[in-house]
Amino acid sequence: MSSRGGKQKKGNVTSEQEEEEQPLQAVLVADSFNRRFFPISKDQPRALLPLGNVAMIDYTLEFLTSTGVQETFVFCCWMSNKIKDHLLKSKWCRPTSPNVVHIITSDLYRSLGDVLRDVDAKNLVRNDFILVYGDVVSNIDVSQALQEHRHRRKVDKNISVMTMVFKESSPGHKTRCEEDDVIVAMDSKSKRFSMVTDEFEIRHDLLDCHISICSPQVAELFTDNFDYQTRNDFVRGILVNEEILGNQIHLYVTQDGYGARVSNLQMYDSVSLDMVRRWVYPLTPEANFTDQQGQGCTHSRHNVYRGAEVSLGHGSQMEENVLIGRDTSIGANCHISNSVIGNNCTIGDNVVLDRAHMWNNVHVSSNVEIHQSVVCDGAVVKEAVRLNKQCVLAYNVVIGPNLSLPEGTVVSMHHPEEEEEDDDDEFLSDDQEVGHSKDKTRQKAFNPAEVGPEGKGYIWKASMNDTEDEELAQCLWGLVLNPDPESDSESEASEESQDRTFQLEVLGTLQRGLEENIVCDNLVLEINSLKYAYNITLKEVMQILTRVVLEYPFQQQGTQLTTLQYTGSLLPLLKTWSPVFKNYIKRAQDHLDCLSAVEELFLEQDTHQTAMVKVLMKMYQLEILEEEAILKWFSTGATNDKSRQLRKNQGVMRRMSLWRKESEEDESSEEGECGR
Amino acid sequence: MELQAVLMAAGGGSRMMDLTYNTPKPLLPVGNKPLIWYPLNLLERVGFEEVIVITTKEVQKMISTDPKVKLDVKMKLDLVCIQEDADMGTADALRHIQQKVKTDVLVVSCDLITDAALHEVVDLFRAHNATLSMLMSKAHEFTETVPGQKGKKKTGEQRDFVGVDGTGKRLLFMANEADLDEGVVIRKSIMRKHPRMHIKTGLVDAHLYCLKKSVVDFLADNKSISSIRGELVPYLVRKQFSKSTNSPKVIDETHQNLKKNDSNISSRDEELLHLTQERSCWNDHRGDMSDAYHGGRLRCYVHIMDEGICYRVNTLAAYIEANRLAPKLFDEPAVHPSAVVSERCLIGADSIIGASCQISDKTSIKRSTIGVSTTVREKVKVTNSIIMHGVTIEEGCNIQGSVICSNAVIGRGADIKYCLVGSAQRIEPDAEVNITYHYKSITYNNCHKVSK
Repeated sequence: MSSRGGKQKKGNVTSEQEEEEQPLQAVLVADSFNRRFFPISKDQPRALLPLGNVAMIDYTLEFLTSTGVQETFVFCCWMSNKIKDHLLKSKWCRPTSPNVVHIITSDLYRSLGDVLRDVDAKNLVRNDFILVYGDVVSNIDVSQALQEHRHRRKVDKNISVMTMVFKESSPGHKTRCEEDDVIVAMDSKSKRFSMVTDEFEIRHDLLDCHISICSPQVAELFTDNFDYQTRNDFVRGILVNEEILGNQIHLYVTQDGYGARVSNLQMYDSVSLDMVRRWVYPLTPEANFTDQQGQGCTHSRHNVYRGAEVSLGHGSQMEENVLIGRDTSIGANCHISNSVIGNNCTIGDNVVLDRAHMWNNVHVSSNVEIHQSVVCDGAVVKEAVRLNKQCVLAYNVVIGPNLSLPEGTVVSMHHPEEEEEDDDDEFLSDDQEVGHSKDKTRQKAFNPAEVGPEGKGYIWKASMNDTEDEELAQCLWGLVLNPDPESDSESEASEESQDRTFQLEVLGTLQRGLEENIVCDNLVLEINSLKYAYNITLKEVMQILTRVVLEYPFQQQGTQLTTLQYTGSLLPLLKTWSPVFKNYIKRAQDHLDCLSAVEELFLEQDTHQTAMVKVLMKMYQLEILEEEAILKWFSTGATNDKSRQLRKNQGVMRRMSLWRKESEEDESSEEGECGR
Repeated sequence: MELQAVLMAAGGGSRMMDLTYNTPKPLLPVGNKPLIWYPLNLLERVGFEEVIVITTKEVQKMISTDPKVKLDVKMKLDLVCIQEDADMGTADALRHIQQKVKTDVLVVSCDLITDAALHEVVDLFRAHNATLSMLMSKAHEFTETVPGQKGKKKTGEQRDFVGVDGTGKRLLFMANEADLDEGVVIRKSIMRKHPRMHIKTGLVDAHLYCLKKSVVDFLADNKSISSIRGELVPYLVRKQFSKSTNSPKVIDETHQNLKKNDSNISSRDEELLHLTQERSCWNDHRGDMSDAYHGGRLRCYVHIMDEGICYRVNTLAAYIEANRLAPKLFDEPAVHPSAVVSERCLIGADSIIGASCQISDKTSIKRSTIGVSTTVREKVKVTNSIIMHGVTIEEGCNIQGSVICSNAVIGRGADIKYCLVGSAQRIEPDAEVNITYHYKSITYNNCHKVSK
């Protein structure tokens, strides 16, 4: 017995070992498949943009390596040569690298879906793999998630196809991307994406790290469903077909660690600062994890990092969270905070930098002010220029002197129109394109009013394209979504407006009835059908009808009617429409409701209160209202001071008693006649 | 006095079929005590000395005259009668007694049988200066076969969706399946304030509410609200997140009242409290820097019981279940001292025998309740049944899974399975009745065998 147990155990161990032995693989997509970073990414693919003076793809690769990935497939499309060159030079392609990097390039990839279909076609993955983009910065240890994922797959026979990694961060956190504002419904016990169980949790405090652990089935599923383009398509498809295909998606929520995708400049700004503030430890600037010569820098307090050969002028202050690359010189009396400055930059005197992101070889003259902006390689900022928030100076742009760029200005050496022309062949093979566009650039002169007298570059307007999709793509800094207005219970509002439209419809019907001489029975039919269309109760129908009829003279002849004119025009109308009224006013309660509608109207139209008696009288004579109902209303209905006032003024009672006498006389005379 | 207790005991028991034909719901015997005794006892146990009972004339009369429904509570009962035919909802009833309400109120329904720790609900109310706090419990499956029903009862009632925050206490969302057109719609502004929301279904509302006095005053001004559960609670839950300053100005007078009351609805001691809140570093949430409760002044909380007994006796099934569980709730001898029980009979430990019963030889009673002054003759077998007061069961009867209402007479040798026998009915000797109701109409037609 015991020996058998031991054997089994051994067997398990070996199978586990086998699994362990299989190298952990990762698929890294070094393309965003969108134009979010245009025009910056026109010259450099997004994965190579420097963040804290290190290319973004290096962070991703470092993250993968540290979680134990041994084989990474890097898929490139846009400017694949540059990425390839970068990787070949980096430490990842040295023979000692623990993570073997394979670079796969193709101009045909248009989406994540294409990449994964290619993964399936080439049969690259053999086991669970990690799927990330080339712009993910993270230090999350996903081994825990990986273990959970494997466990689930072992227990549930491959039902779970994907585990997505989320980080807890409450709404409004600055690393939350506005466009990526996820709300997740999950089963809190099994951590499953779902809506079908009895009890589920809705979470708005999660940040999508864009790291997912996928089973090999994921690639197959992408092949099977050729319309899946993005991961969102995939997730949606799985959830919709969950019951049919039995596939599930789980999530892994981590409380600590850092994970974010640089999906727009807003994110770039915050991730870059988080990096300098050491949230991504151990991936810090001074660690020089890319192991490149001369990249090292020193870390001093207030998170100030200095590369080699940095010179700082007299009286210059580096307040906090500043990273300065090697061979950069800074003039006197500068004031720098929360900024990253690249290699070989020169900065003049009296410069103020706040949340500035300067890449390599940037020249900034004296008396410049830069706030929350990105200045790309080789850009020149001349004397006394001010960059307001969210400006972008793309490669080799020259600005100034004496200019203030308004908020959100994007300047590039590429002319925006040339970009539009290229729209026709969406996927530009970069090398040729750069070559032939240069001629065109020269033809168009720079506008000195926009970029300054010595400036070089074209302004990119934020929304120059027509379609919404394009507009989104142009928005470098990401969307600023307005919080939804907190209206006072929407349902009530809509109900009210429904009443209102119903009222208008009834008015229209009556008007038409009058003009075209429609029989009252047909009017009733029309109103009834309206009642169903707007889902309105019988009581409301009657009240609205009363209101419409009583307001009819105002509607037709304006509100400046005298009381005499009003009654004059109303009374015949009442007579015409009395069959309509009679159809709706049957029970005793209806009479009271109608009366209260009348009362309400005359309370509003207080100048015409005297007409009320006449109206009531007419309605009584037309046998719309019963005498008892009127008396009952009069005696019981007074609910507030105003209506009491109304009744007093009118002396309705007096008149009522008069009618009563009249009617009694009538009746008695009738009776008398009958008797005879 | 911190809280005034209000007991709602005017409901008709419309969902209990013919059980309530002769006996009003509050006085239905459960474990030989009137149903209303259970909430009263609950209140008494936690130390209430006075309770306002809203009820009907009929109930009041029966309480004062009928010895069988002795209420045996020491609290001072302030009986308020409302007209039966006025069709008043619970909120209407509360409005009716507005003059008597001096402080915050604890509203309990008469059909609640629970062993819940009431202080949990009240503590929430106190700790958060809440506008409303309420009690909920996981729904129970009724296992017993219900008379007149073949097979499982279909889940006819619509599900309630209840949304609570991460701590499981704050009530954020409430909707009934019937009101939802397509899916659950939750406003994003709520999600932003409370990023984690648990949506739960399968909960029963115990109809036990702590309400601020201002809510009662609010009710007095808003006559359109007639039910606490149906209208007032959803309204308060919704109002937690609407800014009164933001709402467009409405000319309508009632609306202005509404608005005025919104700000009033939780304004007792507000100034001092505001100051303490400002000075304190305590916060009810984390993740953002806004004030505690996000500056909202209306707060609704819920205590959800994980375990323990919590039943609302509003259906026949719940009534039977409650009878089965009732003996566990109080420790009194199962057999009343004044009952005359023959020594040669078998009475299970889970049965209750009421006062001045007569139980004859060779009788077996298992898992059943026998009411006051009931006579059971020889060789009778009673299992899983509820026999109310003054019933006579002749020799050799076999009664299983049934409810026999007061003063019924069961003829000799009758075999009754899963039946509801109406009050004062006679079942003919040797009758064999299966799964049916046996009430007035049947005897009128003189047809005692409805289905074989």
